[in-house]
Amino acid sequence: MMNSALAAPAGVFVREGVAELKKSLRLPQFALPTIITPAVFYALFAVGMSGANAGAATYSLATFGVFAATGPALFGFGAGVAVERESGLIELKRVSPLPAGAYVTAKLVAAGAMAALALALIYGLAMFAGVRLAPDRWALLVLIHMLSAIPYALFGFAVGMRLGAKGAIASANAMYLGFSILGGLWMPITSLPVWIQKVAWITPSFHLGQLALSVIGMPSQGSTLAHLIGIGVITILAARLALTGWRRSPA
Amino acid sequence: MSRDEIAAVARLERVSKKLGGRLVLEDLSLDLRAGEVTALLGPNGAGKTTSVGVLTGRLAADGGKASIFGLDPSRPAARARMGVMLQSAGLPDVLTVRELVTLQSGYYRRPRDLARTMALAGLEGLESRRAGTLSGGQSRRLLYALAICGEPDLLVLDEPTTGLDHEARRGLWATVRDEADQGAAVLLTTHYLEEADALADRIVVINAGRIVADGSPASIKASVAGSTIRCRTELPDALLAALPTVRSVARSGAAATLLAGDGAAATRALLAADPHLFDLTVTAASLEDALDNLSTDHREAA
Repeated sequence: MMNSALAAPAGVFVREGVAELKKSLRLPQFALPTIITPAVFYALFAVGMSGANAGAATYSLATFGVFAATGPALFGFGAGVAVERESGLIELKRVSPLPAGAYVTAKLVAAGAMAALALALIYGLAMFAGVRLAPDRWALLVLIHMLSAIPYALFGFAVGMRLGAKGAIASANAMYLGFSILGGLWMPITSLPVWIQKVAWITPSFHLGQLALSVIGMPSQGSTLAHLIGIGVITILAARLALTGWRRSPA
Repeated sequence: MSRDEIAAVARLERVSKKLGGRLVLEDLSLDLRAGEVTALLGPNGAGKTTSVGVLTGRLAADGGKASIFGLDPSRPAARARMGVMLQSAGLPDVLTVRELVTLQSGYYRRPRDLARTMALAGLEGLESRRAGTLSGGQSRRLLYALAICGEPDLLVLDEPTTGLDHEARRGLWATVRDEADQGAAVLLTTHYLEEADALADRIVVINAGRIVADGSPASIKASVAGSTIRCRTELPDALLAALPTVRSVARSGAAATLLAGDGAAATRALLAADPHLFDLTVTAASLEDALDNLSTDHREAA
């Protein structure tokens, strides 16, 4: 970090972040689907089909929020890195005086901003459907939702550094849909077959979804401690994969 | 800073590098000095881009050592006064020329004035264009602008004029020459001999990851002075290669190209050996021929 401070002027992180945000906003065709899809699903399945039942809308808010935060992390960040690696942009950043962390941080910030937009849409719908939560419950829920992006971003990044752009997008899709179904983000986990309920334990989405449910007092599976350990282990694994991917990528 | 360090801005010392189990660089040493343009010249796959990768800290050397300004190139501090133009770098389509050059300038402590960078790279009038709307040549000029915007003391250009038209190429040569005249050490990889000849103070020829020649453009030519003989003949290659002073033979169908140390002697022997020979031309060996010959010699030796 000492070297980084010496090499490039102050403010590179901010300027890099602003550039990433501009890129996301000027390419709405890429960012919009991951922002809007969760809100549309939430409106259809949780709010519409339950006949504006505030209980169902509240339950689904917890799990669809996790779904909303993970799209930008997987696609904007993970697949985005893969595309820019293939085009040679990362190489150009790596031979510049830019500190190695600045590019990655900037992309994370941009993905986080897109996740915040996706979440804002869902929260708006939830309030419209009559969901009422105490301020501290809201705060915890928002925190869990935003943090959900981290393991997904790491998985997306790990895959992005190893596979080409097409492979990364395909596997991001597989993780996006697979984790959502297996982790009980779309349908309550208890309504799924028993084998899926078992498989769910190895998905990040299950732990995040159950944590989100428990903080707003909705019925959830397993203990908070078990989910914290579960998501912790999965995040560490994802971070390792991301780091080794970053180190080996130039070859 | 000692005199020695001022002289050698960047250095590869007996560098070797394996990629995918294959030895791509072998015992490669190179010094880049302030105010000097060094051309790294060689056929495709010779290891030019890998050398650039090791020098710029993107690839770690398996053996030997790379340093820039006396530091390990993988440290950001070492890259603070370096500008690099890579062979291919897809810039974000949706950012404008001005935004990209401003962003890159912000990586450096004492960047050039933006207007000056634009002028040097020939980008005036294109500042508001998005990168995705630029032509191939304009994109190359933008990459060049990103390399020089920090007014670097070490400028590394990997095949900078690929895709440029003749006029743009000459324009770029002039600005690269200016960078060196202002004291920058410049490394240029190219497979354009004309480019190396026009621009470089020193040409380092590499083939199969090893240096096969190192000297001034004049000395590179002199070391392989001779003639190129082109003709159509039915004689087998082995017989052609055995003619007096012939260094190499290349053939496509009936058309043969010989490189000979003594053009007159080789031509006399050739005419005597094949009375049906036709389409004969004898020319002084160009730098390109010289390079082919050096590369071929090395392959035969290996």
